[in-house]
Amino acid sequence: MTRIRRLSVALAVAGVLGVAAPAAATALTTVTISGATASYPLVQLLAQKYVKTHPHKVRFKITQGGAQIGINNVASGASTIGDVSRDPVESDPKGLVFYPIAKYAICVITNKANPLANLTQAQVISIFTGKTRAWSGVAGATASGTIDLISRTSVAGVLTNFQTLLLENKKVSSIAAEEPSEGLLRQQVENDPNSIGFASNYQSDKGGVNPVGVNGIGCNKANAVSGQYAGVARFYEVTKGKATGAASAFIGWIGRSAAARKIINTQWISIS
Amino acid sequence: MSALASRRAQPQRPAKPGPGRRSSPMSWRWGDRLALAFAWIAGIGLCVIAAAIVLYMGYRGIEYLRPKLLFSRPAVGTSQSDTGGFLDPLLGTALLTVIGIALAVPLAVSSAVWISEYGRPTWVARVVESSIEIVAGTPDIVIALFGLAIFQLHLFAPFSFTASGGGVFGRSFIAAGAMMSLIALPPLFTATRDGLQSVPAHMREAAFALGKTRIATIRRVLLPSVRSNIATGVTLGVSRIIGDTAIVVLLLGESLRLESQGSAPVVGMLRGTGSTLTSYVYDNSPAGEGAAPQKAYAAAFVLLVLVLGLNLLVDRIGRSQADSIGLTAAGAIV
Amino acid sequence: MLSRLRNPWPDRRAERTLGAVSLLLGVLVVAMLVFVGVHAWPTFQHNGLSWLGPKGNLETQIANMQATGQRPPASAYRLGAWPFVYGTLLSTAVAVALALGVAVLSSIFIVELAPARLRRVAIPVIRVLASVPSVIYGLIGVLVLVPFVGNHLITGSEKASVQNVVELTGAGLIVTVVILTVMITPIMVALICEAFVSVPNSWREGAIALGVNPVRAMLAVTVRAARPAIVAAVVLATARALGEAVMISMVSGSRSFVPKPIDGLIFLFEPLRTLASAIVDYHEGVGAPPLAATLYALALLLLFSAFVLSIAGYLIKLPLRRYQVSG
Repeated sequence: MTRIRRLSVALAVAGVLGVAAPAAATALTTVTISGATASYPLVQLLAQKYVKTHPHKVRFKITQGGAQIGINNVASGASTIGDVSRDPVESDPKGLVFYPIAKYAICVITNKANPLANLTQAQVISIFTGKTRAWSGVAGATASGTIDLISRTSVAGVLTNFQTLLLENKKVSSIAAEEPSEGLLRQQVENDPNSIGFASNYQSDKGGVNPVGVNGIGCNKANAVSGQYAGVARFYEVTKGKATGAASAFIGWIGRSAAARKIINTQWISIS
Repeated sequence: MSALASRRAQPQRPAKPGPGRRSSPMSWRWGDRLALAFAWIAGIGLCVIAAAIVLYMGYRGIEYLRPKLLFSRPAVGTSQSDTGGFLDPLLGTALLTVIGIALAVPLAVSSAVWISEYGRPTWVARVVESSIEIVAGTPDIVIALFGLAIFQLHLFAPFSFTASGGGVFGRSFIAAGAMMSLIALPPLFTATRDGLQSVPAHMREAAFALGKTRIATIRRVLLPSVRSNIATGVTLGVSRIIGDTAIVVLLLGESLRLESQGSAPVVGMLRGTGSTLTSYVYDNSPAGEGAAPQKAYAAAFVLLVLVLGLNLLVDRIGRSQADSIGLTAAGAIV
Repeated sequence: MLSRLRNPWPDRRAERTLGAVSLLLGVLVVAMLVFVGVHAWPTFQHNGLSWLGPKGNLETQIANMQATGQRPPASAYRLGAWPFVYGTLLSTAVAVALALGVAVLSSIFIVELAPARLRRVAIPVIRVLASVPSVIYGLIGVLVLVPFVGNHLITGSEKASVQNVVELTGAGLIVTVVILTVMITPIMVALICEAFVSVPNSWREGAIALGVNPVRAMLAVTVRAARPAIVAAVVLATARALGEAVMISMVSGSRSFVPKPIDGLIFLFEPLRTLASAIVDYHEGVGAPPLAATLYALALLLLFSAFVLSIAGYLIKLPLRRYQVSG
């Protein structure tokens, strides 16, 4: 019995030590980032590079959910930084500061079995607002049957920008299926031959879908950089008040460092 | 199913009456014939569905499961080949189970012992039994939301972490584990209480006659004799914890890898976030982010093997007991 | 002080400690009700009982909740949860009704009609079905059943006929109900089989001696005698079906749409959302106070219905008490 008691005392002491010990260990700050699914791949790569070049300073916890979720989390204090894929709007909480980090293009995409090359803006509006419901009403489409509209849930920043830039501020029809993330939207379009949707150029460049040009201008990086393509928007990092501490260091690094610019230029467009 | 088994074993009764004695379905009313047909269809249908599920998952699992997946850590990647395996989800499942059972066993065994050995005043006993029933009947998603409400209080901030804006994150292994213990509590309580109630009175009376107090009897005589009941209850609780997804999705922070919070070795892990097999399957299915159905199938196969193995274990424990409990208690029911 | 812990405890202290620990469970349940209720209060305060009724497009209302920041105006709380309530009622009622029929028939099969070898197989089969985790049911549903329904059962003209109202993708009512039935049937079968077996043989044999055929004897005698257990099984199965969140979120199409039986066959393919699956779908939005309050209100409704169910079960069993064969 005494041996067991000694063992348990030893374990208890070890446990207490385990809790109290790391007074000497460096305290890692944790920066929580949440928000847009469109900028999630970019911010992940940037965070990975930042941790590699600035070791033992910061830890990142990155989640997604949609641009509006990021804004709400920053406003409520649950996240330090919000990833936002749309411009600030009137209804955003006061006191948020938007730092632009990159530009991206919004592409209309269809299934590979429906290799639509181009749509006029009027056609885009008529399809996405639900006026045209059958592929037979779309000139140049090889698909037949009902048009399956794939859109995003209301928290998506890409949706807001798509409506502003390519739909002349009209709203996507409520018939459309609402996917909670870009990746899921692209998957749906890949699997359904009758579908049409929209996503950032990162998703459409992955290859499984067919990007559709608008008004004769293809949706690709070259056209986005030259400014010819109409649907170009920005990614922002948002903080409550001006960024301080680790968040400010990270955002500043994104803006200044060459390594960050290299990462941005792989799939997106850097702000210059 | 003891009564069922004994009926099967009834000896020397003419099992099948001679020809002409048994009524042929051809002479029955239409309604009865239909009932006969549907009963056969329902019975065989259930067996076929169960076989189909197990065989299909087995087929997909063998197709996609590589031993490498079990031992490599998941990573964020763009294609199937660089997203790694599911070692972290496996560890997460194990950790969550340990926490859940460690919290549930003392609570369940104490309550079961108190209900069956003491039980006064009666209103307290009724409150306790009703509480167990309510917890058993509560959907796990409600328990998960309750956990979120509790662990996002500033009082419980040490159990997860506080974001720099002042909000408590509220999601960690401790949070999920605490709620998992509520899930595992009812089967454990029921198994222990039934075991204690089936201990014959003469064992207690013998101990009292020898001068032992009630608590000493419980400690030295009763609890050891219901060890296998507690084991059954624990196994049932473990299989419920392993199979639960809603609590994990809401309360575990959904980071792909096990990430500890703060730098203390064990406590950091408990305060940190991670994933489990169930959330990994959910995330990789078309409902989540991963777009990796192959990995989802592989992980789901491992999950199914674990759960079926636990069921076999319950069977084995149940059979090794002197009196068989029957399908209900030894099965997956509360 | 350590000696107090080390020496054998007196009975009184042990009884009080164990009693206190047990009472903790009661405290926990009350805490659950209080916390969920307090967080849900703002929704009911702003909506009253009309919260349960229809108020238009649910997705727009939720979008509005998420767009209004940390100090939302009263209008942001506006929500009519009827589509969720209807989806839950519809899927649960149909699944439980189907499962009841299948369970009673399967139990008759297992207890009475099956040859001995098949009976020995049936028990593990039921246990396997009951213990498969719901995420695996959801996986098979979304990777096998949903594409099957979407590609082979829904015709182009059916899709076109509702194209101005909703999109049909295969994920919807029928897949949800089928999987839900498969999930809750084993629970009922286990309980009902146990009850059938505990009805004394002599009752059934007496009926057979009077010239009734075996199936009719089962139906008229055993099933009637096992009615309390059947009610208990229905209550348990309904509670399980109500609380199923993750599986339904995977296969139901996740649209807050109200499937209308008027639409005929298409009604089976229409998407829906239930109370529990809505909580899973929107749980990331708890940063927006109106949405958080709504989610807690949905949870409160679930809690309330589980409670009502067990009371209803108890009340239904009361008049059946005289048929009670054994515990």
